[in-house]
Amino acid sequence: MKRLAAVVALLGLATATACSSGSTNKSSSGGGGGLFTTIDVNRPGLDASAPANPYNPKGNSFSGFNAMRIAWVKNHLTDPNQALPGIAASWEIAPDNSAITLKLQPNAKWSDGKPVTAEDVKMSIGIAYTQGSTAFSVTPGAAGAAAEVTVVDNQTLKITQDMASPSPKFARGVLDTAVLPAHVWSSVLPADFWDKLKTARGDGAEAEKARTEITAIGQKVIAFAPPKDVSAGPFVLERVNPGEALLVKNKNFYNAAKVAPAQVKFLNYTGNEQIWNYLTAGKLDQSGFVAAPTDVMNRIKQGPGNEVIKGYSPVAVSMAFNQSKKPYDNVHVRRGLAYLIDRDQVTKVASPEGGTPAVTTSGIHQKAAQAWIPDTLPKLDPYKPDAAKAEAEFKSAGLTKKDGKWTLADGKPWKVSMHAPAGFSDWLSAQENIKSQLIKAGIDAEIQTSPDYPVYLEELAAGKYDVGFWLMALGPAPYDIFQRLYGASNGWTNVAGKIEHSPAGKNGNWMGGPEQIEVDGAKIDPGELTGKLNSANEEAAKPIMAQLAKAANQDLPVIQLWDYVNNQFVNNSRFTGWPHDDEILRLGTGVLASGVWIQLGMVKSKQ
Amino acid sequence: MTLIARRLAGHLARGFVMIIVVATISFFIINNIPGDPMAAQYDKLLQSGMSPEAATQAVKVLYGFQPTGSLWQQYTDYIGGLLHLDLGTSVSRPGQPVLGVLGEAAKWTILPVLGGTLLSFLVGVILGVYAAIKRKSKLGDALAISGSLLHGIPQYVLAMLLVVIFATLIPILPADGPVDIMFEPGFNAGYLGSLAEHAVLPIATYALSAYGGWVLAMKSSVVTVLGDDFILAAELRGMKRSIIFRYIARNAILPLFTILALSLGLLLGGAVFIEKIFNYPGLGWLLIESINTRDYALMGGAFLLITAAVIVANIVADLFYTVIDPRVRSGEDST
Repeated sequence: MKRLAAVVALLGLATATACSSGSTNKSSSGGGGGLFTTIDVNRPGLDASAPANPYNPKGNSFSGFNAMRIAWVKNHLTDPNQALPGIAASWEIAPDNSAITLKLQPNAKWSDGKPVTAEDVKMSIGIAYTQGSTAFSVTPGAAGAAAEVTVVDNQTLKITQDMASPSPKFARGVLDTAVLPAHVWSSVLPADFWDKLKTARGDGAEAEKARTEITAIGQKVIAFAPPKDVSAGPFVLERVNPGEALLVKNKNFYNAAKVAPAQVKFLNYTGNEQIWNYLTAGKLDQSGFVAAPTDVMNRIKQGPGNEVIKGYSPVAVSMAFNQSKKPYDNVHVRRGLAYLIDRDQVTKVASPEGGTPAVTTSGIHQKAAQAWIPDTLPKLDPYKPDAAKAEAEFKSAGLTKKDGKWTLADGKPWKVSMHAPAGFSDWLSAQENIKSQLIKAGIDAEIQTSPDYPVYLEELAAGKYDVGFWLMALGPAPYDIFQRLYGASNGWTNVAGKIEHSPAGKNGNWMGGPEQIEVDGAKIDPGELTGKLNSANEEAAKPIMAQLAKAANQDLPVIQLWDYVNNQFVNNSRFTGWPHDDEILRLGTGVLASGVWIQLGMVKSKQ
Repeated sequence: MTLIARRLAGHLARGFVMIIVVATISFFIINNIPGDPMAAQYDKLLQSGMSPEAATQAVKVLYGFQPTGSLWQQYTDYIGGLLHLDLGTSVSRPGQPVLGVLGEAAKWTILPVLGGTLLSFLVGVILGVYAAIKRKSKLGDALAISGSLLHGIPQYVLAMLLVVIFATLIPILPADGPVDIMFEPGFNAGYLGSLAEHAVLPIATYALSAYGGWVLAMKSSVVTVLGDDFILAAELRGMKRSIIFRYIARNAILPLFTILALSLGLLLGGAVFIEKIFNYPGLGWLLIESINTRDYALMGGAFLLITAAVIVANIVADLFYTVIDPRVRSGEDST
């Protein structure tokens, strides 16, 4: 017993000693502005053993901080090619969009002191080809793909577009490319890579073989682990543990004098509730959008120094129909439901802070719609809640109301069965609200949850659901916006620039909408029109988008419920100067906007 | 020694067969889990602003790490790899061998769960003996009630309670990961201190939630031993209370060693809620993440590790019993 007591006493002593030594030696956490604390809300779970590789999904590469791109593409409503300078100080886009010439930052250096050269950028482009990129695609005929990459001089590159299938967002695709040091990464690409690439972009068996080889190189790229982080960004990775990552200022960064923080700490998280806790405690200097219930959002807003900046997020959520199933094959049923569901109420319940009720179903986020189709938008049916109109639509569909309950045309009971993945709290809250609205109107309804998102998508694509929720209006590019309604999920696939239609239930066509729709007295093929958006310039795109918006509005493959809002959380206790400009609150794919604000000198230390 | 060696050989042979059987079953279950991870990844990339063509290629590259061939071919490759301790390559952590990923996560599970298990065992056993001896006093009742109460509170409730008290209301302990990044990793006071400081709340949660079980089990075991003749004989001989106490403890603790060995085997299953709440990226969290990302190789590896740990713990418990309990040895000898 004496021995046991001694062990217990020792354990207690050790813990007490540990507690005291840990707290006294700890560095200050953010006080004084030297340390910037943030979080990558799109990647839960830091992996201490992951490499500093921007293509590795777990990579300890934080775009904007220790990973640079050619430029930082903006969230512009109509012009996808607008960007902030990155490794390229400036660029010139040919008037016909056939080429872009990049001028690199004259003083750009890697963190090991070596200069950033045009050869680095060319090699980075080669690597981008292996991973899949809009501008650097191995798929023959892909819209907006580059044709030639030429190093003009040590500071200049020219990239031409394959004009056989041009895209207005070609320059965006080029600019949104990660830049890597050739002296670290060049071993990943074989010496004959550019010849292989040329072959891959052709036709036939040889091309197919080359494409397979490039995909295999892509796997090597994704798994590549540089011995240490060599960064051209404002920071360089110092170390990572499973709870945090520490980056320190890169003294060789070309704009180092304007970079306010000396260190950056990324916090790990495994669930949204941890981010809420960090935000409530005022620990984070900045965080990207994270969905939060109203009470949590209120607590966050009350956190010391906290501020929520709201901006445009090119995403909307909709209630999508499987038109292979009755009665959703009948447009009057879909319209009836659109008149019945009060979207204001749904949004207020489901996403009061993170969304604004959709003004109508146009297929486009309302903010983008005002920029793209300002004349068409007011002409669309807003589907304001109107029980009488809903009843008339249901009657047109042959539905009947008996004892206050709507039944199908054949007299069978009608139950609206809505599906959502478990854990998608805003979707589930919305469905609860819709369910109660429908039941109140005499329509039986139920909610069914899938265990997770992969199962949900698989079952949705297999046509197992009558009604599911669907993300749509994924801008800013017009093609990306409408392909969510008139793309593979509705039967149209874009193979090498050629649009093909599959019947309902085949090749992922779960929406099962008609191949042609009558708009303004003329039959249109919405999938073909969407495909045209891939190569149409701004002026050519506008009338197509107007037609598609009308088609979506009258045919209702989905009911657009709410448009998301980009909530950025910032803290004014240690840093200031946060931008409020919509266009730069959200930057390119996977880019951590605060890193870009810091490197451009917008964020100032509050001292 | 020959007896122990013989038992060990038998256990190892049975354990090996069991591992292969479990690996086979889990392989087929895992490969039949519904869900399309490629579609989910594709959708995620589209939402982040990637064009459909680019997302298609990115998904193709990422899921190139997924094994190919018929299910049978994949199975034989898997078992073949297993025999060479190769559990494949992770998809969610491209290029990283599964064994390495598991090893990295295991250390963050072992620290809080092992610490918590041993601490709760130690405290629970001592207080369990005391609760049994003083079972007619108020203190004995209080110990038994505290054991039942803590045993009944779900682990995540206890964890959140501790976080609220010690990390929010009286912020004296951290609850945000295993160690402060500001300390240089290594054998230095700051780093080790930070490790220990961060481990206090997870260990305390685990210890408090497991303590009740030990107290109640030990109390019950001691009460049984108290009725044995040899205790009465010792009391009648006028032996010192400390010696009688030792007699009681040694005999009563035997069944608890088996439970302890099994608990240590289950240790590698992680403590999902503790890991999630305290941001400890251990095996429990890894298993959940591998299911969410449909990282089949990682999922299989995690299941296998948990299974193997339980089997090994069983073997160790059995052998240990042979060593510590003379009755087991004599039973074997007589056969």
